[in-house]
Amino acid sequence: MKVSYNWLKEFLDGAPVPKELGRALTMTGTEVESLAESGASLNNVVVAEIISCAQHPNADRLKLCEVKTATDKYSIVCGASNMKAGDRVALALIGAELPGGVKIKKSKIRGVESQGMMCSEVELGIKDTSEGILILPPSAPLGASINDALILGDALMEIGVTPNRSDLLSIRGVAREASAVTDAKLKEKSFSLEEGVRETEEMVSVSIEDGAPCRRYTARIIEGVAIGPAPEYMRQRLEAHGIRSINNVVDVTNYVLLELGQPLHAFDLDKIEGRSIDVRLAGENEKLETIDGKVRELEPSMLVIADAKGPVALAGVMGGKYTEVTEATKSVLLESAWFEPSSVRKTAKKTGLSSESSYRFERGVDIDSVPLALDYAAYLIKELAGGTIAKERIDVYVNEMVPAPIDLRLERANAIVGVDVAPRAAEYLSKLGVTVKGTGEVAIIATPPPFRPDIKEEIDLIEEIARIHGYDNIPTTLPSAPLKSGDAGKATRTKRAVKYNLSRAGFNEVLNYSFVSQDSFALAGGKDGVQLSNPLTEEMVIMRQSLIPSLLDNLRDNLLKKNEEVRVFEIAPVFLPGGKLPNEVWRVAGLLYGLRSGEAWNLPKEWVDFYDTKGVVEGIFEGLGLESSFEVGPVTMEDSKIFHPGKSSAIMIGGKRGGVFGEIHPELKLRLDLKRPAYLFDADLSAIIDLSARKKAYRPLPKFPESGRDIAFIVGVETTYGEIISAISSLDTKLIERVELFDVYYGGNIPQGKRSLALRIIYRSMERTLVSDEVEAMHTRVRDELVKRFGAEVRGEQ
Amino acid sequence: MIRRLEELLKEAREELKAASTPDLVLQVKGKYVGRKGEIASLLKGLGTLPPEERKSAGEAINRVKTGIETEIDRLLEGFKSGEKEEKLKKERVDITLPGRRSPSGRLHPVTQVMDEIEDIFLGLGFDIAMGPEVELDYYNVEALNFPPDHPARDMQDTFFVAGDVLLRTHTSSVQPRVMEGRKPPLRIIAPGTVYRKDSDITHSPMFHQVEGFMVDSRITFSDLKGTLAHFLKSLFGPKTGVRFRPSFFPFTEPSAEVDIGCVICKGAGCRVCKGTGWLEILGAGMIHPNVFRAVKYDPETVTGFAFGLGVERIAMLKFGIDDLRLLFENDLRFLKQF
Repeated sequence: MKVSYNWLKEFLDGAPVPKELGRALTMTGTEVESLAESGASLNNVVVAEIISCAQHPNADRLKLCEVKTATDKYSIVCGASNMKAGDRVALALIGAELPGGVKIKKSKIRGVESQGMMCSEVELGIKDTSEGILILPPSAPLGASINDALILGDALMEIGVTPNRSDLLSIRGVAREASAVTDAKLKEKSFSLEEGVRETEEMVSVSIEDGAPCRRYTARIIEGVAIGPAPEYMRQRLEAHGIRSINNVVDVTNYVLLELGQPLHAFDLDKIEGRSIDVRLAGENEKLETIDGKVRELEPSMLVIADAKGPVALAGVMGGKYTEVTEATKSVLLESAWFEPSSVRKTAKKTGLSSESSYRFERGVDIDSVPLALDYAAYLIKELAGGTIAKERIDVYVNEMVPAPIDLRLERANAIVGVDVAPRAAEYLSKLGVTVKGTGEVAIIATPPPFRPDIKEEIDLIEEIARIHGYDNIPTTLPSAPLKSGDAGKATRTKRAVKYNLSRAGFNEVLNYSFVSQDSFALAGGKDGVQLSNPLTEEMVIMRQSLIPSLLDNLRDNLLKKNEEVRVFEIAPVFLPGGKLPNEVWRVAGLLYGLRSGEAWNLPKEWVDFYDTKGVVEGIFEGLGLESSFEVGPVTMEDSKIFHPGKSSAIMIGGKRGGVFGEIHPELKLRLDLKRPAYLFDADLSAIIDLSARKKAYRPLPKFPESGRDIAFIVGVETTYGEIISAISSLDTKLIERVELFDVYYGGNIPQGKRSLALRIIYRSMERTLVSDEVEAMHTRVRDELVKRFGAEVRGEQ
Repeated sequence: MIRRLEELLKEAREELKAASTPDLVLQVKGKYVGRKGEIASLLKGLGTLPPEERKSAGEAINRVKTGIETEIDRLLEGFKSGEKEEKLKKERVDITLPGRRSPSGRLHPVTQVMDEIEDIFLGLGFDIAMGPEVELDYYNVEALNFPPDHPARDMQDTFFVAGDVLLRTHTSSVQPRVMEGRKPPLRIIAPGTVYRKDSDITHSPMFHQVEGFMVDSRITFSDLKGTLAHFLKSLFGPKTGVRFRPSFFPFTEPSAEVDIGCVICKGAGCRVCKGTGWLEILGAGMIHPNVFRAVKYDPETVTGFAFGLGVERIAMLKFGIDDLRLLFENDLRFLKQF
């Protein structure tokens, strides 16, 4: 909310300077988000009127104007063209210094003397942009200082009002708070209301329907008003606080709203059917055309102001078009009321109408100030628009609100704050308008003022005490608690380990939105997804069930930016069908694309492939000590939507399917317009987290030498390495320590449909040194097994 | 004789000093200690000495001989190794060519900051807890003392799913979830992803928070101040200024907004801190009695503090990132900087 410092001063004696006041408010919880001392007062800038405006004799784009103040005439060269004779302008005289640092001197422009400058709003330091020079209203007094004409020399504070502090949504409220947190004293405005002889009650009747969410409704009538523009000071203030000027009567209601925080509404009395006001809930099928020209279908939950014919306003939200005050209005019915906050909020939400009024009603206005605001507005309307105020206001008040007293235990206050605030608690509360009774050693009874509906229980009072005591004055201590080390938990430890492992393997971590487009969702075969009912864009409608589409987006975005080597990974939950809430399962997924080692002068230019990807997956498990829990497995039809069916594998985690890795499906590659295949992996991290890592345990190093023998052989390509290894390891011997694959070869003199494999088999006994014959015999068994099981054609042995 | 020896030694040393090549050294060698050299002729002359002097004279001559020979060997050795060095120097590599690297990637700046925050609190004995991102209205607001139909609910624009299911708007939802299942004393942080319906240069519809809370029999607001001041000084440096201002959150009371001295201008006032010299960094407060009541804790016997902070904002301040959106564009040129 914007607050003018000068306006605030009308309610304060001895207000500190704007900066100090701003700091005091901020440090007690009323955050001054910005302080603009814009439009600082200016010397030698006055209101002048243009007498004539002619072309400059020597320049097409310049004008030569004769202007006058109350006493003098000047001739001014000007580059703007938005002015005409008779306009009032801001004239900077010789000697003036403008906010931009411009000093006005007597000067000759294209051979013609200029005795000053007509200023734009930018030049005056009022606004950031402007078109042409500033044209003042005709009412601006000639020769007057621009400071008075524009109310310069003010400071505008932008205050962040938290939802609990409805009392700060007015100039008077902020002034009241300022008087509590600084040495300034609050001073109330006084005015005297001159009433006519006709009674208000003779002219209009007001009733509140039983149970309607309205506690208090007050009304006054002002007859014989002359509608016209409001005076300049009022229009300026409204505009500075973000409200458009309409006419004197409407402007008064808004002015009082800003000043006292009480929303008001003015009706054209002659348009109120039956001269009766009924505050009630809307009936079925009722409609209302609001001031903005829209016809609203009303619902029975909405509180309306109705006349004999039907609704004339949405209570607290917006008035009706038909009964609004126009230039033709002769008599005004003024409303000041207290509507139930939650009712106003619901109506404002349902209709999508949020106004300055509804904003305040939703947060709760001061019910005791309802009649004051009514009278003040009536007084101002009479001052500005003339007319007669009818005698006695109407005040219907059902179910009077009386703030309840609250017991405050001083020991409790100390226990929460952590310092002895008890001695001054009563004093702090009194500053805030809280009535304190029974000031005792142990407890006090505090009754909050009517404008603080947020103070409801003991803890609310404790907060107020801490606030006024000053957070800076509360000591800084560390809690005393038994020493213990924090437990990150297995999930966090595992996620971190995998992240560090992948970053060391060259992967950069990405963060993608959890919500994706329907297309992305479908691409990964999503089903029964969690759909947002109010998405921000079409790209963010459904919670993803796979991380892969996001990674493909990352690849495309990076290729567009000429990042040609892409290794990225993400660790995030996916949202699978569950109960009421989805089942959130963490996944780790990654993508490899481009050269294995990047464009380096000293490394081979090789492209990443399936086995790079497999190595990464193996590395994840090994890094966690879970290498024995990972196996490959066959892929499914579903996997083959994204993966190449021949160049992909399931990731079996502890024997269960838990992911896929491999090459992108060639059709998808084509669709994404990729030059080379991308490689992907995607694994169920939650399943990995659930596995226990192998316990690290020492095994004795061998005491006897190993003996290695090579064997190279040709087998059909359908025979997998895995089958060969399991055939060898199924041999009934303890002498084979390990098998190393050192060559896989296709083509050349190897027949079609076959490949050559070369293995080194390491033989060792833990008990003795093997003799050559034993090794040979064992190696022969291996060879025979390969020949027998796979029809291997042995090419060489060593 | 002795004088002659001294002269010989001196001459030989001088000539050796001048000998700039191995050949010249060898010439000197021949002249003095060769078979027909000066020393040899002196040795031959020993026979002319009286027998009682022969022994000591012989010893003196041999001493000089050894001295000269040692000097010659040293020089020749020096020439030899010098040649080797020259040869090795010619094999030199260009030390300015880039080294051979195995690829290495970076963790996202948000992760790096998140880990750092977690580690500080783990060190203070806080445990890490997690909660669901798709959440019930109950845990996201109701149990946190947001009254129904209250403007406080507008403090966070919510993405809704259906009925009372929504995307959590803060990790504070983990507070009631943990407290429902565990008894005090508690020291918990809950890092995680949160969602708000807001997208512009300073707001992302998805971002990260760390919620923290401590519940015990005698926790005070001054403990909150001490804990958070320690945390912020650990994160931003021991000289970081920290200030607490009153604020409002439905689930804490008294509530505080915590600022640190601007890390950009060091408090002088700049664009980032809007000229105030302070940066809002986290929200905190004493856990509201209604939150305890909702989880069946007795607010008369336990008190506690809670706080929440935005990880992206801290990452931006720590790394000097001026546009929040960069954190979610996943441009490798950006990611590789951290």
